[in-house]
Amino acid sequence: MSKRDLRFTESHEWLKVEGTEALIGLTDYAQGELGDIVFVELPSAGTHVSAGDVLTTVESVKSVSEVYAPVAGDVVEANAALEDSPDLINSDPYGEGWMVRVKLEDVSSVDQLMTADDYEERTKG
Amino acid sequence: MPYIPNTDEDRREMLREIGATSFDDLIADIPRELRLEGSLDIPGPLSELELTRHMQHLAAMNRVPDDVLSFLGGGIYDHATAAAVGSITGLPHFYTAYTPYQAEVSQGTLQAIYEFQSLITRLTGFDVANASLYDGATAGAEAVLMATAISRRKRVLVSSTVNPALRSVLKTYLRATDLELVEIPSASGVTDVAALETELENAGAVLVQHPNFFGLLEPVDRIGRIVGESGAPLIASVDPISLALLKPPSEYGATIAIGEAQSLGVAVAFGGPLLGFIAAARKHARRMPGRIIGATTDAEGRRGYVMTLQTREQHIRREKATSNICTNQGLVALAATVQMSLLGRRGLNELALQVAAKSRYAAEQLSKVRGISLKFEGSFFREFVIELPFEAGTAKAALSEAGIWPGIKCGCYYSDMPNCLLVSVTERHSREDIDSLVSGLEAIIVSRDA
Amino acid sequence: MSETTRKQEAVVEPTIFELSSPGRRGYRFPPLDVPEIDPVEVFGESQVRSVEPAFPELTEPEVVRHFTRLAEMNHHVDRGFYPLGSCTMKYNPKVNEDVAGLPGFTRLHPEVDEVHSQGALALMHGLARHLAAISGMDEVSLQPPAGASGELAGMLIVRAYHTDRGNPRSKVIVPDSAHGTNPASLTLAGYEAQEIKSDSSGRVDVDELRRLVDSETAAIMITNPNTLGVFESRISEIVEIVHGVGGLVYMDGANLNALMGIVRPGDIGFDLMHFNLHKTFSSPHGGGGPGSGPIGVTSELADYLPYPVISRDEAKSRGIEYYFDYERPRSIGKVHGVYGNFLVMVKAYSYILTLGPVGLRRVAENALLNANYLQRKLEAYYELPYKGYCQHEFVLSASRQKEHGVRALDVAKRLLDFGVHSPTIYFPLIVGEALMIEPTETESKRSLDHFVSVMIEIARESESDPDVVRGAPSRTPVGRLDEVRASKDLDVSWRQD
Repeated sequence: MSKRDLRFTESHEWLKVEGTEALIGLTDYAQGELGDIVFVELPSAGTHVSAGDVLTTVESVKSVSEVYAPVAGDVVEANAALEDSPDLINSDPYGEGWMVRVKLEDVSSVDQLMTADDYEERTKG
Repeated sequence: MPYIPNTDEDRREMLREIGATSFDDLIADIPRELRLEGSLDIPGPLSELELTRHMQHLAAMNRVPDDVLSFLGGGIYDHATAAAVGSITGLPHFYTAYTPYQAEVSQGTLQAIYEFQSLITRLTGFDVANASLYDGATAGAEAVLMATAISRRKRVLVSSTVNPALRSVLKTYLRATDLELVEIPSASGVTDVAALETELENAGAVLVQHPNFFGLLEPVDRIGRIVGESGAPLIASVDPISLALLKPPSEYGATIAIGEAQSLGVAVAFGGPLLGFIAAARKHARRMPGRIIGATTDAEGRRGYVMTLQTREQHIRREKATSNICTNQGLVALAATVQMSLLGRRGLNELALQVAAKSRYAAEQLSKVRGISLKFEGSFFREFVIELPFEAGTAKAALSEAGIWPGIKCGCYYSDMPNCLLVSVTERHSREDIDSLVSGLEAIIVSRDA
Repeated sequence: MSETTRKQEAVVEPTIFELSSPGRRGYRFPPLDVPEIDPVEVFGESQVRSVEPAFPELTEPEVVRHFTRLAEMNHHVDRGFYPLGSCTMKYNPKVNEDVAGLPGFTRLHPEVDEVHSQGALALMHGLARHLAAISGMDEVSLQPPAGASGELAGMLIVRAYHTDRGNPRSKVIVPDSAHGTNPASLTLAGYEAQEIKSDSSGRVDVDELRRLVDSETAAIMITNPNTLGVFESRISEIVEIVHGVGGLVYMDGANLNALMGIVRPGDIGFDLMHFNLHKTFSSPHGGGGPGSGPIGVTSELADYLPYPVISRDEAKSRGIEYYFDYERPRSIGKVHGVYGNFLVMVKAYSYILTLGPVGLRRVAENALLNANYLQRKLEAYYELPYKGYCQHEFVLSASRQKEHGVRALDVAKRLLDFGVHSPTIYFPLIVGEALMIEPTETESKRSLDHFVSVMIEIARESESDPDVVRGAPSRTPVGRLDEVRASKDLDVSWRQD
């Protein structure tokens, strides 16, 4: 998918709107910083999250990082493929490595998030 | 100073290199008013000779088996340890090493613990065991925290037949949590299954000991079934030697097995260091407390071992860690690993059979004495409870004069058992030893009758 | 220095299971002298296991060789320098091992009547008294079996103290340089960790502390000297601020080695602390245990100590001098199944008596001297983020080496090639590429000079030949191990393929 379709957060999550739902994952930059991801703790469907809540945790060998909900919504599904292959986040962060699908509380809340250009600017230095 | 190599000349030279005029410069950050005036109020220094004499004197003030015939147990057992165990744990390569943080120069420690884990999984029937915990009691407390993290429920049911020391420690660990501790009464010396059943709704963990504190086998099949149906994780506290003969916890529906492995090559040593263990199914590995060693390879494909799943632990996850534990019982786990390796498949089996046969013989002989009865009817392993016609302490005191310690007074832990003794038998006890206990107790009863 | 390649044949030791051959055994029992039993008959069919545990089968020489070969793969204090920061890897005196092996200690059962354990009780009572004298605390319990257990006991005491005053309170303050056990322990005691930043000198930011404390502050946990090797010189103000809101001041005693005979925590306002007998008091680390983490408190907190407490009755009114006092209604309870790690206590007690008051002060002085000497010699080659004299340890950063693509981990691994253990790395968390170095007082100047020369050599290599450093170690039994694989393909128990 094109990064143009995505929105980004300061804490390195990406979000892609699909109708009233959105896919959420971790950016390529973030996966590079974390190194090999060996485990993802996924939320169960139905979990309600507000913007800024911890959505999932991802672990490398010696670190645990929290992934925050960019916007409010209810978890529709988590990417079950990550249970056996958490390294999909490393190999295909914007594709097979997606983490959670949420039903958006307010589709327009996405507008506050960064565009691809903003995010690229942010992670340059 | 025998352990400080620097000479006065070294010190002067080092201070010069540092650019300090005196040692005082180095502690300039410590405000003067905070410093100790005068010297510490402690004895010493003692030379090696003086120290040894003093320590021998203290040791001689303690009374230990061989001078006395002891049937004390209650969770800590005076088994024989193979001579080779001490020679391995006495290697400085093992005992003067630290936590294997640098795996490449710690393969000895790491592989030995991996082998310990492997032996514990073979005993318990589970896939994953950790590198050890402080003792069986803290292992029980850690297991309850782990089980309630799995179930996300708050009620913790603990059978009153679980070792009182474990229950005490558990109570301490749960003091500040929102977990509710419920004690399940016993019937005929084992967990009252009907009472357990009525408490199971919304239970977050169930803890039983098998064989229990009285040595009795618990009805683990029934317990496993009803606890399983309730959805609560079942924690089985087990005696590792008994597992040579008894069904492993994985086969009666336990979620977690814990226990005390001191009996496998570790001295009783006034109760420490001991050796706690914990094992569970692979799917719960990430909820386990403490270190876990895993096998892997280096770049050239050589097999090697590392501490793994470290993100569970306090040094990475800090306040969100599965436990606050850092230190395990490394050297003690090594001792048990060597002992288990020496025993091997046949030795372990024979040890368990000897313990079972000798404890059965002791119980049979004691129950023939007029005035002594077995408190409970069920089958037991290693330990059993006898009831005397008078307060157990009286018998204990009288027999102590004759150099025999017949067992632990149950009344210390169970107020409704003032006349009962918990008698523990190991392979160290000969038939003659057991017969001495029997005749000793008989003599006391006879003399009281007279 | 020329590179020698790892000797292939010296490498992999099979597991004990792979060395097994059916029918062998390494230990024999006396013949059974009572009637045999049939497990099925005695225990019932449903209780008996169908398959024996698959234990290995070997003779004694095979077992001894296996574990001796494993032993030879370890680095250890008796072999060489082990400068792991915050771990106090000092020499473990042999006489301590000897006396801890006396049968009067090793075969003493914890359930014996007190009259039969007077020697052990006298020793424990004496050790507790000596630790109190060293620390300035009023009472000491030896029960916690490790430092983290002492921290838990301490935090539960804090909670019990506040609860008795009407409110357990909710927060415990910990510096960002703290050991991970601190936040983990206080969480287990029902508190929320409140992190406080260090100031530019590496100390607790006192102004920030003033802002943080309130009526919900139960305690602050301070390691002093802290993990940067810096003495908290404003400790009196810290104590005043925390006491001012009714909170308690806890000391993590991991670094007590720096203070012995110089400062007593109890004298400078700490209310409670734990000791690490396996660090400060020379009992060996055993490849990660057993440790011992006694806890000391002021008299105001003494009622909350774990029970039983060992008390002394000099008049011997019950016929014995030392006894266990279980009548402690306000005690937090037991934190160990028995009385703690007794044999570790024996070693610490021996150590204290061997050194005496002058010796313990000498320990602290030489620990500081050795650390400052190393710091001075190395600061030209590695970044020293916190300047000034250090206490017993100091923290370097491999930030200069990182410019050449060499990280703290690489420096650590390269040290192994020179027969030196690495420092603690990536801790404390507030220093990037941290190399935390604690030499201890038992190293000679010669050994320190050797370490310095190796560290300088690695700093040079990092510029001239960074690949050698990044590829290290090459002279150890195995090379860098694949930790990702260990985590993903979890193999924690040997299975026949």
